[in-house]
Formats: sequence, C-alpha cells, structure tokens
Amino acid sequence: MIFPTPEEYTVLFLSLKVGLLCVVVSLPFAVLLGWVLARKNFRGKLILDGLCHLPLVLPPVVVGYLLLLLLGRRGFLGQILSDWFGMQIAFTWRGAVLAAAVVGFPLMLRAVRLAIESVDPRLERAARTLGANPLRAFFSITLRLATPGVLVGSLLAFARSLGEFGATITFVSNIAGETRTLPLAIFTYINQPDGEAAAARLVLLSIILSLGALIASEAIARKMKN
Amino acid sequence: MLTLCVHRQLAEFTLEIDVTCAYPVTAIFGPSGCGKTTLLNLISGLMRPDSGQISIDDTILFHAEKGIDLPPEKRRIGHVFQDDLLFPHLTVRQNLLYGYQFLAPSKRKFHPDAIIDLLELNTLLDRLPNLLSGGERQRVALGRAILTSPRLLIMDEPLTALDQELKDRIMPYLRHIRTDLGIPMLYVSHAIGEILQLTGQVIVLNRGQVLAHGDFFSIAHQPKILPLLETHGFENVLPVEVIASNRVQYNNQILHIPPCDRRSGTHIFIGIRANDIILSRQRPAGLSIRNALSGRILDIVETHGRRLVYIDVGKRLAAEVTPEAIEELALKIGDSVICLIKTHAIRIGPDVS
Repeated sequence: MIFPTPEEYTVLFLSLKVGLLCVVVSLPFAVLLGWVLARKNFRGKLILDGLCHLPLVLPPVVVGYLLLLLLGRRGFLGQILSDWFGMQIAFTWRGAVLAAAVVGFPLMLRAVRLAIESVDPRLERAARTLGANPLRAFFSITLRLATPGVLVGSLLAFARSLGEFGATITFVSNIAGETRTLPLAIFTYINQPDGEAAAARLVLLSIILSLGALIASEAIARKMKN
Repeated sequence: MLTLCVHRQLAEFTLEIDVTCAYPVTAIFGPSGCGKTTLLNLISGLMRPDSGQISIDDTILFHAEKGIDLPPEKRRIGHVFQDDLLFPHLTVRQNLLYGYQFLAPSKRKFHPDAIIDLLELNTLLDRLPNLLSGGERQRVALGRAILTSPRLLIMDEPLTALDQELKDRIMPYLRHIRTDLGIPMLYVSHAIGEILQLTGQVIVLNRGQVLAHGDFFSIAHQPKILPLLETHGFENVLPVEVIASNRVQYNNQILHIPPCDRRSGTHIFIGIRANDIILSRQRPAGLSIRNALSGRILDIVETHGRRLVYIDVGKRLAAEVTPEAIEELALKIGDSVICLIKTHAIRIGPDVS
C-alpha cells in the first residue's frame, strides 16, 4: 500500500523532468536579465522589471490562458512553430515545462538579481585590468560569487514548478503520461471515489521531494561558503 | 614613457591633463577629490576620456580622433587599487595567477615563484583573502598586478588604508619593485613622505589641473604648490648627510637629530614641521635648543590664515610665525635670521635615492 504504482511513478518522473527542465530553460535568461537589471541603467528598466514580475502576481490561470493564446494551434507563435518546425507546444509536456518556467521565472530572476547586486562591481573591473575579457570576468568573478543566490533561485523555481497547477492545466490540460504532474494527479485522484490512497502516496512523495530539494540546496550553499 | 593628454568632464570640475612621465617612477600628489583616481581609471581603461590621447612608449592606448580605445584587458596596465580588491572566493595563489593565466607564455616576464619570494607570500598561498591582514592583502594585490607583466604599474594610494607600521613594512617591497623589476610606476598618494621614499618626480594635481610637474624640491616652494602641501601636513624636507648616530650635516651646518641607526655617510631626508621652527634675530645663549640654522628671509606670506616666513638656508625652509612676532621682530624680506629647531622636532625620513 505504501509503495507507488507504476502509474504513480510515471507522474513522479514527469514532475521531476518538468521541474529540472524548467530550471535549465530559465537559468540562462534569469542570469542575463538579472545582470541587466542589476548592473545596467536604461530607459524602460522599470517596465522590463514589471514585465518580468508579472507572472508572480497574475493568477496562474491567466498565464496559462495567455500562453494558450500565443502558442496554441491558432496562436501567432504556435502556428509558426507548427508550420516551420512541426513542433507542438500546447497540450504536450514541453508546454508543461514552459508553463512552469514562466510562472517560476520571477522567483529565480529575483534571487539571481539580488545575488549579482551583492557582488562588488569593482571586482569585475579589477579582473578586466588583469586581462580578463568582459565575459570571462563576469563568469569567473561575478557569477561565481553569485552562485549561492543562483542556486537558491533555481531551487525556488524548481519548487514552484512542482506545485504548478493553474497555468499547466489551462495551457496543456491534464493528460495522463504527458502533462499530468504531481499536483494534477493528486487533484485527479481525490476527485475519484477510490483515489484517496493514491493521492496520499503522491502527497507523501511531494513532501519528500520538496524537503530533499531544500536540504540539497542548503548543503550546496554551505559547501560554497567554505 | 607615458604620454597623457586627456580631457574629461567630471561632476565638480574638468579633468585636463597634459603631461609626459619619462622617469621610472612618477608620483601624482594631490588632495582627495583632485581627480587622481579618475586619472588612473582613464589610464587603465576603466573610464573613457571625452577627448585626447594616452600612449605608452609607442603603443597607443587611447586616441579620440583615430578612434582607438583599447579595452582594459588589452592595455596591460597593472592597476593596484586603494582597496586591494582581491577576489574573495580565490586563494592567494589563485589570486596571484588570475591575470598570469591570461598572458601568452612569451609575454610572461616574471615567474610566479620569484614574485612570491620577493613579496614573501610563501606561507600565505593557500589562504583565502578574508584570513589575511591588511598589509598581506596589499602585497597579494601587488603581486597579482606584477604577474601580468604590465607595461606600467599604477598604484592608487595603496598604503592609505594601512597604519604607519604597516606602511613602513610595505615600502621596502615597493622599492624592490622599482629597483629590481624595472616596471615603470605611477604612484598616487596624498602623503609626500610616502612619495619621497620612491621618487622625487612629482605631478601635483588639484581640481583636475596639473599645478606643477618635476623634481619635488624644485617645485615644492612655488607659491601655488606650497599652500596645498601645507594643508596636507607638509613638512620641510631637507636632504642631509649622516655624520654620527645623532648628528647630520647640512650645507656645512651641523644639526642634532634624535638617535637613528643609519650609518655615517648615508644621505637621508629629515622632516621639520613649519610650526616647529622658531625664528630669532641673534644666535641665542642659554637655551636648550641645539639646532640653529642661519639664513635670509626670502618672503613672508599669508595662506589659510597662517603667516609663513620662507628662509633661505640653502634650501628654502618654511616657518610658521604669528603676526605679532613678525611685527615685534620687525621681520622683513632680506633680513638675516636664525632658525631654531628642537632636536626632537626633527623627523628622520627615508634614504636619499
């Protein structure tokens, strides 16, 4: 009774896949935008900042619906992707990754930006005078010193993706084996007359997963400090 | 040889510099906020001049008209900052080798081991910067810059953050770099005592303008320079020859100094503050003061509410005297006076190099 069924394992692995890919996809953008927002001053910075934070305050269902409008079969981008590359985003696991990434992005960006802001910009300038080109100086000094913050941001985005419900179900629906992640599966099981045991097992898995991620990130952060 | 001809608008004033530094070590002296740090940033490429040009020997680093602006990493200027700016996540060894690793092997002029020995960093190599003392950090910063085999080493008040004892301990390393490594240096400081231990060639900067440029002793007494030196605790500096452990000779006049360990025959600088000099019409009798230099009054000026009497004793000495005393003694330009100096008012300075 305690051990999950193969079906539930599928749910677990899908959730892990979506969570990890969501972090991998968001990270480059979060670092780039985090750096821009931390170090650059330009017109429209406030608007860019606002846009980046929008998914944090919008109801997830709205985010999912907007994604559907943009990337659905009739959507502007969805059509291009489908016609040119034969790629389908809506109603696939890729769409689940995208939904989780969009919703989790503000959390990651915020952590990365704060981490970069806390690094003395003069260190990077010192690196330049020592012969490092701008990219090298950024990666070997600023990003390296901001790594604990980047990890925290990644963890937040990962945790947020594990809990993502509204945007996912709106954008990619609740398709078993394709887009049914942990929250969607739990929601499905508790709506079934005999699904309570399965729901309980998945709840337990969620707790273990979230706790494991927290402990892992704390351990990494501690190791970085020493 | 560093050729500078730069113009840059700053918040408070315009930086306008047009000088050539031909000597191995040139010092830039000026009060805080005079544009020294900006000037160094322009040289190392961290800031951009509005117009002008910067070149070292025959390499052009910046040329506004020709559109040349080498990025900092291509300039090969060793920049030592006031705060050492060591990379906190790297060990001393990794900090030292940070710039060295970017350098093509053919361009590496110094071996890391040699620099580590020179700066006595052997025991610190595996430590992180936060476990180092201020003096140790500054030595690592120095080594890190030297190991990039720079065309020029520019130092922005590298000793300001350190206490006097540490300053005295770092100075010999700087002299080693000057003498043994043959890297030209531009040394920024607002402490004349520090500068004179390295070089006599000084550029005096104030509010973005070069007030004077040349040998310190020939420019120090210019009317527009001296007030600047005065307000920054300038002392009269005299080059003298040690003739005994407590006596020096200056222009055939003997001065008593506090006991020092310099060997006879050594040429050193001594420092005397302007307000430690007493003027007298005649050579006094029955006074405990041992030192009396005779000279002739060159000028009497008032700066910043203080009366300064300049006396030619071979070099010019500045003595601070109250207006009442000037009146009572009826001091005039051309008069002969005796400068009285207490033995313990004399500060022993560095060797004349």
